[in-house]
Amino acid sequence: MEEVDKILIHSLRLSGTGRPPAVAAPWHRVPAHLGALSDGGSPAPPRQVPEEVQSLREFTTELIVESVVRCLRVIHPSLGASLGHVLPPGMSARFRIGTSLAQACQELGYQGEVGYQTFLYSNEPEIRRLLLFLVEKLPRDDAEDARQPAGKSAGLLRAIAAKIKEQLGTPWVPPACRTPRLQLLQGTCLLKPFHAHPLVLPRDSGPVERREFFGGFLPPVSAQPPRPGAVAPSLLERHAGDLGAQHDWEADWQSQGLASRLPPKEYVQWKHQRLRHRLLDQLRQAAPPHGAAGPPQPGAPDLAQMLGLLSAGGTGGALAKGSRFSRAQRLAHEQDPQELVGQMQAAVETLPSSKTSEQEELVRQAEELAGLQGELRRLEAEMEAVGGEVKVLELSLSQAAAGLCQQQLALGGRERTLRVQRRALELLPEAGRNLAALQLLVEGSAQRLVHLAAQWETRRGPLVDQYRHLRAARHSRQLESTRRVAEIQALHECGRSAAAEARRKEELCRQLLTELEVLPKDVSRAAYTQRILEIVGNIRKQKEEITKILSDTRALQKEINGLTGKLDRTFAVTDELVFKDAKRDESVRKAYKYLAALHENCSQLIQTIEDAGAIQREIRDLEEQIESEGAKKTLANLERILSDYRALRQENAVLLGRSRDP
Amino acid sequence: MELSEYVQSGLQILADSGCFSPSAYTVLLQTAFQSLLNAQADQVALDHPVLKHIDPTVLKHCHAAVATCILEAGKHKADKSTISTYLEDCKFDRERIEQFCTEYQKNKDTLEIILGSIGRCPLHITDVSWRLEYQIKTNQLHKTYRPAYLVTLNVENSDSRSHPDVSFSCTMEQLQDLVGKLKDAAKSLERASQM
Repeated sequence: MEEVDKILIHSLRLSGTGRPPAVAAPWHRVPAHLGALSDGGSPAPPRQVPEEVQSLREFTTELIVESVVRCLRVIHPSLGASLGHVLPPGMSARFRIGTSLAQACQELGYQGEVGYQTFLYSNEPEIRRLLLFLVEKLPRDDAEDARQPAGKSAGLLRAIAAKIKEQLGTPWVPPACRTPRLQLLQGTCLLKPFHAHPLVLPRDSGPVERREFFGGFLPPVSAQPPRPGAVAPSLLERHAGDLGAQHDWEADWQSQGLASRLPPKEYVQWKHQRLRHRLLDQLRQAAPPHGAAGPPQPGAPDLAQMLGLLSAGGTGGALAKGSRFSRAQRLAHEQDPQELVGQMQAAVETLPSSKTSEQEELVRQAEELAGLQGELRRLEAEMEAVGGEVKVLELSLSQAAAGLCQQQLALGGRERTLRVQRRALELLPEAGRNLAALQLLVEGSAQRLVHLAAQWETRRGPLVDQYRHLRAARHSRQLESTRRVAEIQALHECGRSAAAEARRKEELCRQLLTELEVLPKDVSRAAYTQRILEIVGNIRKQKEEITKILSDTRALQKEINGLTGKLDRTFAVTDELVFKDAKRDESVRKAYKYLAALHENCSQLIQTIEDAGAIQREIRDLEEQIESEGAKKTLANLERILSDYRALRQENAVLLGRSRDP
Repeated sequence: MELSEYVQSGLQILADSGCFSPSAYTVLLQTAFQSLLNAQADQVALDHPVLKHIDPTVLKHCHAAVATCILEAGKHKADKSTISTYLEDCKFDRERIEQFCTEYQKNKDTLEIILGSIGRCPLHITDVSWRLEYQIKTNQLHKTYRPAYLVTLNVENSDSRSHPDVSFSCTMEQLQDLVGKLKDAAKSLERASQM
């Protein structure tokens, strides 16, 4: 039983169920998630259990309940979640917990007898059986699977710990004697802030001029930043930016690009155009609403230029997008010259007047300003008047044009009637013949019309059919392409997830390999197998002994039987012989009597010995029974039941009193 | 670790033995490492005679790609197997991968130092000096009789005293608090290293 208990307690420790003091030693080997799980319920309850819990006999009720609850949580989280692993002080709550635990165990498929008494008034064999069942149910593979997420952070923590230990181990070295690595560790003078410079990356595409520039004049990337220390940061930043743009583009293409069913280039163009339109709309809305016929806005040429630039840059590829900043910059640069010109004009104007005194200048300027403003107002009024005139004139012009149109239409109608009347007049002299000819003509044209209609029908039929057919084909092709697009998207998704999975697995493999290397080579597995083999050997030896004893017993029985038979036979022969002689001789008769007495006494003796043996066996049986009953702690349990009963009554009384009170 | 399209295309060109002969590959690889690690050699010699017949644009492209790849590998502390995986993806053959890895191993320490030196960190304290000050009275209080500690933390300065030493005055409790916190920090470090 000791072996069984040891194995049981070990597996309980491994699953994180159980006794903090016992767990303390192999804590770091416990899979992290299980450790966390065991901590989850309560912050490491410090139980007053002696460290040397070696057998189930030493388990207290709290310990049993905690072990079972934690096992249940690991086996079946939903079952165990509702159970607290700390025994509550109230008796009724304890009974409830016991009952729900028993129920949970039965739900898991425990065959044996289980009830609240199993947990609250435990006896060793029952608890052993129950815990064995639970430990059997503990998920094994799960422990290894769940290790994965924890493994990464654990590995990182271990690496950090190793690094800290290493750094704590290195002594402090004066700055002058440091190697570069030490300088980095213990000093600050090597540190340079992260300064990145924009880099121009040469590529083998684009217009000829650019390629010429790349080939002939562009220095290699490492020579581009003005400071030599900035090479690495610049490259890193550029690379990170490229990667980010690539990811953006991929995400965009996956979500919208594929659905638009355009080739990538066209999609990019379409996107740029849309962006441009939206930008234009925004700018139009944002611009202050001046008179529609007013002078062009000062920003307008810039806008046009900017949009031109934008559309020119739009064909550059996917990566040319998303530079709102550069656009703003460009805008600012475009405005700069104008501002400059304005400032220069102002300067030119103020230059000659700078010779006169300031006041004069001011007065003159004010006058000038007033004059100019007056003129401006006059001109504006004039312009308005002229504009009104122009509008009136335009209106009358359009009216005249409309009249002209009408007149021309009327003229055309009149000319037509004139022609018909003239023709009729010409035909009037030979009316009959002409009428016939005309009728003939009408009939001919009607026939031709019918013929043409028939012809049209013959032509139209197949064309319409073809049209319908083509439309159906187009429809089906569209469906097909939708399906394909969906397929492609699914494939993309699949590929991406597969790649991620592969990467994850590779990482895991590497990490596990390192972990394997770290692990001690003499794993307990060998020890376990050895122990199992030992146990098996022991059992075999015992079995042999038992068979030996059994055969001994059988031989003994045989011997006894033989001896009894021999005795009986000998006695019968002797009896007969002596009986024959007894009739003749008195002394022989006496001898016969003695013989009979001897025989009887001996058989009595044998009977007594046999009885003594049976009694001894019975005694042993009874002793065993007493021992097993003693193991059940019946007396203690009874006492506890009694005290619990008293506590329960007290609680009930308190509750009753409380319910009566108000 | 992940490589952008530009870098991948550059590496693919570099892997092409029709474009880069083995000797040209070696020279370019070494040049790339030199250009990253030797801050002084700012004029990179891409005009090595072996590289003469290669289109300069392609050459610069490959150079940028290799340099980025090396930096990324150093940044992620990639081991040999990871690097080989990425290079295999770019169609490198076994020999070139081996060459790259040996060169990388050779320069790994320097690369780590260079990457590690990017950034900033708080000042390093090298020494501390203190003196006890006892205030008897001030113009506001007739008698104060309070001790105060004047502490100066010497800061490591290699470049022309750019950081002045840190000095402050504190009461006894504050000093005790400081010392306690320092001890706590030391203990936390110890504990962290015991993981």
